[in-house]
Amino acid sequence: MKDTRPAVEETPIGKPPFFKRWAGMYWLVLGNLAFLILLFYLLTKLYA
Amino acid sequence: MSPLDWIVLLGTLGFIVSYGVWKTRGSKDIEGYLKGDNSMKWWSIGLSVMATQASAITFLSTPGQAYEDGMRFVQFYFGLPIAMVIISITVIPIFYRLKVYTAYEFLENRFDLKTRSLAAFLFLVQRGLAAGITIYAPAIILSTMLGWSLTVTNLLIGMLVIVYTVSGGTRAVSVTQKQQMAVMMGGMIVAGIMVVRYLPDHVSFGDAVNVAGKMGKMNVVDFSFDWDDRYNFWSGITGGLFLALSYFGTDQSQVARYLGGRSIAESRLGLLFNGLLKIPMQFLILFIGVMVFVFYQFNQPPAFFNEAAKNKVYATPYGEELRGLESEYAGVFEQKQEAVQDLVTALKAEDAGAIAAAQRQVNTYTAVGKQVREQVKGVIKKAVPEAETRDTDYVFISFVMKYLPAGLVGLLLAVIFSAAMSSTASELNALASTTVIDIYKRSVKQDGSPIHYVKASKLFTAGWGGIAILFATYASLLDNLIQAVNIIGSIFYGTILGIFLVAFYFKRIKGNAVFYAALLAEAVVLYCYYFTDIAFLWFNVIGCLGVILFGFILQGLIGKKKKELVA
Repeated sequence: MKDTRPAVEETPIGKPPFFKRWAGMYWLVLGNLAFLILLFYLLTKLYA
Repeated sequence: MSPLDWIVLLGTLGFIVSYGVWKTRGSKDIEGYLKGDNSMKWWSIGLSVMATQASAITFLSTPGQAYEDGMRFVQFYFGLPIAMVIISITVIPIFYRLKVYTAYEFLENRFDLKTRSLAAFLFLVQRGLAAGITIYAPAIILSTMLGWSLTVTNLLIGMLVIVYTVSGGTRAVSVTQKQQMAVMMGGMIVAGIMVVRYLPDHVSFGDAVNVAGKMGKMNVVDFSFDWDDRYNFWSGITGGLFLALSYFGTDQSQVARYLGGRSIAESRLGLLFNGLLKIPMQFLILFIGVMVFVFYQFNQPPAFFNEAAKNKVYATPYGEELRGLESEYAGVFEQKQEAVQDLVTALKAEDAGAIAAAQRQVNTYTAVGKQVREQVKGVIKKAVPEAETRDTDYVFISFVMKYLPAGLVGLLLAVIFSAAMSSTASELNALASTTVIDIYKRSVKQDGSPIHYVKASKLFTAGWGGIAILFATYASLLDNLIQAVNIIGSIFYGTILGIFLVAFYFKRIKGNAVFYAALLAEAVVLYCYYFTDIAFLWFNVIGCLGVILFGFILQGLIGKKKKELVA
């Protein structure tokens, strides 16, 4: 059956700050997570 | 509380409520009332998202949890940054493209009306219950402190939130959340500084962390795998990811925060801001709890932190027995304090043998102290059977009330009330928008004027506020408040997330299959909750994967039947 719903508009996505592409922002967040897990692991080992 | 505390508390709350009402008066259409005219910047969205998640329970329960169980609860949030990235990439562009008011509108576009209504219904049930607990948490403190009835305090807190949420809608929620976040973070940082300052002169900050580590409280990360263990790396990174995906991607109380953004970029940045700061924020709150624990290694802690419950026991024939146990607990503490002093001296001298010996002694006295505390709880249960014997939610507030100077007590109470108001406001706003957009406007009255829907939204906001107050009045402490909210969330979130994941990624599965798959998956989750010991975080995974799996099976069966009919 043919889809008769109206086509949705494509919304433009702006650029992120500090990085040329959004991938840079995503890696910043994931890198921060990896750093925190490593830091917490070292804290756990250091004070165990 | 001193007059200065009352001035700080009432001044802070009064200013936030009045500012929220004044700043956001006069929304004339549903776009303005439910989406704030899409005017929010990224930092405003980020703060709003964080304030929505940080309820009073966060500030009451989390330090208590660290006091009892150490830092490991932080692992619960490991999946959150990953979820923020996934939602930014996949969910936000779709919601913006479809110009939806609620997350569930998208489901009708992808499947059908019944799947949209089912997801909206599951959300309304779980968020309606959670809103009650969000009000109940600070209400018990105020009732304990002032000796007021719980109903009166529930009413006061609930009404305060209803006033500005009904008046200004989504924009009032966001405007007030900025100030509430400032109060919350400022207050907690001050509390953290004070607890470290209150440590004995010869105990430095480093010594305090060392003592906490030797007493098993610096257990931040645990890589060992155990299905029944609530908080380890694996449950946090998988169960926590599913819970965060569901909460931020499908729960209207969060979706409404970033749908109010100026653009996709602003909404994305707001969520990523949360992904960067949420774990450090939770770490800080837990760490304050650990410092309170260290503080109580040098200062006599109460044998039971809920003074109101103890006062009830004193008035019964068990009062003498309780007093006896309390003096026994004080005796054990004195002996333990000497062992802790030895531990500090050994740590300063870096003498491994002396450290191990002192640690053994401290552990022995800690175990004896725990036994006495268990006896105290037993006496309380015998004397007042309806009393809650878990007192971890009272640890932090008890420290605040007893040790912080005048003015700061008011500030810390303002932190708790601000947190309660910020999350309750988001919840009421989301409950109202889902009821109006997904049920009332879609299935009851489709031809109303813009002003009619604004009026209906205001009415539903007030109505849900009333239901939340009613539930709060009859809620009792379930296990621990923060866990109660997370357990309720986990029972429903997995299924809702499963529906959305099928909608986004499994185009083969259609409306009928996903609808019945969701019902089956929810039944499996409820079975797990009532009849197994599986840790609640896994319910998110089970519910979600259940919908996908049953969806594939049912779609296969439906497809086969259709082919047979055609043949």
